[in-house]
Amino acid sequence: MIRVLKRLGLMVLVIWLAASINFLLPRLTDRDPIEERLAQALGDSGGSAVGIEEMVEQYQAKFGTDRPLWRQYLSMLADTARFDLGVSINYFPDRVSQHVLTALPWSIVLLGVATLISFVIGTFLGALTIWRRSSAWLARIVPLFMVLAAIPFYLVGLILVYVFALVLGWFPPARGYSVGLNLGWNPTAIADVAYHAVLPALSIVLAAIGIWALSMRGMMVTVQGEDYMNFARAKGLSDRRRFWRYAVRNAMTPQITTLVLSFGNIVAGAILVERVFVYPGIGTLLYNSVLLVDYFLIFGCVFVLILTVAISLMLLDLLYPLLDPRIRAGGEAHG
Amino acid sequence: MSGLEVKGLKVVFETDDGIVEAVRGIDFHVQPGERLGFVGESGSGKTTTALALMGMIDAPGRVAGGTALLGGVDLLRLSPAAHAARRLVDVAYIPQGAMNSLNPVMRVGAQIADGMIDHGTGLGRSARKARVAELLRQVGLEPSVAERFPHELSGGMKQRVAIAISIALKPQLLIADEPTSALDVITQRRVMHTLREVQDAIGAGLILIGHDMGLMAQFVDRIMVLRHGRLVEEGEVRQIFRAPRDAYTKELIESVPALERRQAGTVAAPKDATTAPIIQLDGAAKTYRRGLFDRAGVPALQPLSFSMAGGTPLVVSIVGQSGSGKSTLGSLLLGFLAPSEGRVLFEGRDLQTLSSAERRESHRRVQAVFQDPYAAYNPFYKVDHNLAEPLRNFGLARDRASVLAKMREACELVGLDPDQTIHRFAHQLSGGQRQRLMVGRAMMLGPRLLVADEPVSMVDASLRSSILGNLRRMKDEQGISIIYITHDLATAYEVSDYVLVLYRGRVVEAGDAETVIKDPLHPYTRLLVGSIPWPDPDRHWGGDERAEAELAERDRQGGREPCLVRSTIPGFSLAA
Repeated sequence: MIRVLKRLGLMVLVIWLAASINFLLPRLTDRDPIEERLAQALGDSGGSAVGIEEMVEQYQAKFGTDRPLWRQYLSMLADTARFDLGVSINYFPDRVSQHVLTALPWSIVLLGVATLISFVIGTFLGALTIWRRSSAWLARIVPLFMVLAAIPFYLVGLILVYVFALVLGWFPPARGYSVGLNLGWNPTAIADVAYHAVLPALSIVLAAIGIWALSMRGMMVTVQGEDYMNFARAKGLSDRRRFWRYAVRNAMTPQITTLVLSFGNIVAGAILVERVFVYPGIGTLLYNSVLLVDYFLIFGCVFVLILTVAISLMLLDLLYPLLDPRIRAGGEAHG
Repeated sequence: MSGLEVKGLKVVFETDDGIVEAVRGIDFHVQPGERLGFVGESGSGKTTTALALMGMIDAPGRVAGGTALLGGVDLLRLSPAAHAARRLVDVAYIPQGAMNSLNPVMRVGAQIADGMIDHGTGLGRSARKARVAELLRQVGLEPSVAERFPHELSGGMKQRVAIAISIALKPQLLIADEPTSALDVITQRRVMHTLREVQDAIGAGLILIGHDMGLMAQFVDRIMVLRHGRLVEEGEVRQIFRAPRDAYTKELIESVPALERRQAGTVAAPKDATTAPIIQLDGAAKTYRRGLFDRAGVPALQPLSFSMAGGTPLVVSIVGQSGSGKSTLGSLLLGFLAPSEGRVLFEGRDLQTLSSAERRESHRRVQAVFQDPYAAYNPFYKVDHNLAEPLRNFGLARDRASVLAKMREACELVGLDPDQTIHRFAHQLSGGQRQRLMVGRAMMLGPRLLVADEPVSMVDASLRSSILGNLRRMKDEQGISIIYITHDLATAYEVSDYVLVLYRGRVVEAGDAETVIKDPLHPYTRLLVGSIPWPDPDRHWGGDERAEAELAERDRQGGREPCLVRSTIPGFSLAA
């Protein structure tokens, strides 16, 4: 219990540090988002630039960016603690949290499911290549996935879009759902969203299977050399039990570490895929907010990114003792 | 049951250089309830023979001929699946190094039970659980051990679990492959007693594979001596030890350190006038703390003071079981660990306060030889690289020619042919060669002190003598002082001038080897000496019950009695 509390404390510390850096970095540029946005708005509407400085000052007062940095920092911390991420400059007067929360589920479902699928298939294939060395189909299919793993997944994505969307027309080339679709928990909407997710998910799955297979293969080779594998064989245990309970179970521990860590990177990983497929997730949101120097939206997106990394790291720490009894608290060897 | 009847067993390995015959047609039989010993050095074919009986010879190896009848079935004719079904049911294997033979992520009980499930005993869940508890009790463990994970058990307990697994289905034949090679003598004796009990209980035949002739003499009824895949000699254990017919058998028997043979001579007179101590422990103690808040910690070594004079080279042995603190003491002497209290002084200077240049120099002058001769080499380089590195590091040889000359000299010092050694990879050398080379490497650097931590525990018995002889010569010819750390009293007796017996972090008895080991006083020393398997079938290998009782009594009283100093020798002083 104490360990869990300690771990939680550490997580809060990590989030605070990251949030602070995140707060400072964009403010080091000499670009002023309010001025730029106003200039852009004026340019769009064809108005004159007279009195723009006054307007900038007014808006700065409204957003609080005219205050000294340390006060901005303190109020940022207070807001963050209340999960209030402020107001978007670009989509004023929308709340940042509203945009982030709309975009986040898209990314988490797309990348989470794709990561899980590639993990399961890749790990299983990697384990099998060691267990069934003589299998002909494995000998062909696994190197293929490894080649695919060497190609960046957005490139795979572009090829998929070209072949399956543009040439064959089987799947939509972009977007997360059909225009005019009434989003909600109804079968039509779910089917439509799943249909749109096939290509982006496939691009991630194809690219990641080989990586999972490769690392699992390496772990299996190590595990196969262990004395307990030999003893399991000497016990005449069934092939299935030796494979699952002895070999895979032991080789899985580092695999799961990598899996949980890669969940932490979902938000970061979303940027490229979502750009390629114009997917309405957090990656697209972050990309756009960077282009428009929308401090508060950038902060919101990156904050979620930090949160996912910190949470998955904490999960990993709490999960690890369950995976490996040797790490369990108080698990000291006797004698 | 009619036992195992093997005829003309042949196992070959197909390599790039042609077919290598690992087992070249051997015949033997094991009656129910009988204990047969397979002895021979590594590569003699003893383990390969066992694997053939288990159906576990993998490509490029194969069984090339022969029959092995067990209960009317020829094991060698079985399909791989049929053979796997026989394992544990008819033939069970007790692995070498049970330390790593259990699945680290499964509870012990489940690992005993899964064999029962896969071999279809038809027992229900609760019946299996009861059987697991019964088996654990049978091998001398609490039934609650079933709920533990392997890392929560000591080496001896793990070996007992392996025995419990192997007898779960009451097989006709047990094959124990050096089951106690990693255990200290006291644990070894207890585990072997248990193995004998359970074997008698199920009435199985047993094959004990090993190279320790002492253990063989105490445990088996008949011995088969194997060499290069051939049977050299076979006979009743008494006949083998009393009247060995073959020269190789004699050699094996003589390689066992015995109290009758001793290499150590008398203590040499001081070679020079420097009586300044070379190494000194000044109330040094070590306590391991678990985390920041563990104020009390686990004491590994109680405060200890001794001093070794520089002018008088000696071999001082530190003897104890695992957990006695002997390796902690070794690490303190090498400066790898800082003492929690007190000081460790090398040539009068505190090891912990040396400047980095002085520390470097001290690393040259204090050399170490460790247990595992393989782990000490970088496997990616040939031996010469591993040897040349310290020479360059310490600036002992400038050019290639002198490096080479030094290396050749080091090989010759330990009786290795330099041409056969230097340009090979570590894995191409045998364990004995590797360990001898480590000794040679240490000598090459011209140290004043050598700390040898279990240098021969992983080496075949036949090579032990020669490595111990190397150590001895280092002292006699080069005047190097040696601290020899071991759990093996017999080898300590063979080489040492002075012996410290360490028990629970305290030196309980000290004196010259002759007195301490021939006439032990402290119950712990008596227990250690009594647990040595002597290469004499008629000598009783029993626990000294009185010693055990006395020891338990002393433990209850807190074990604070002063060390029994039996004798002193010039050049070494102990302040207990």
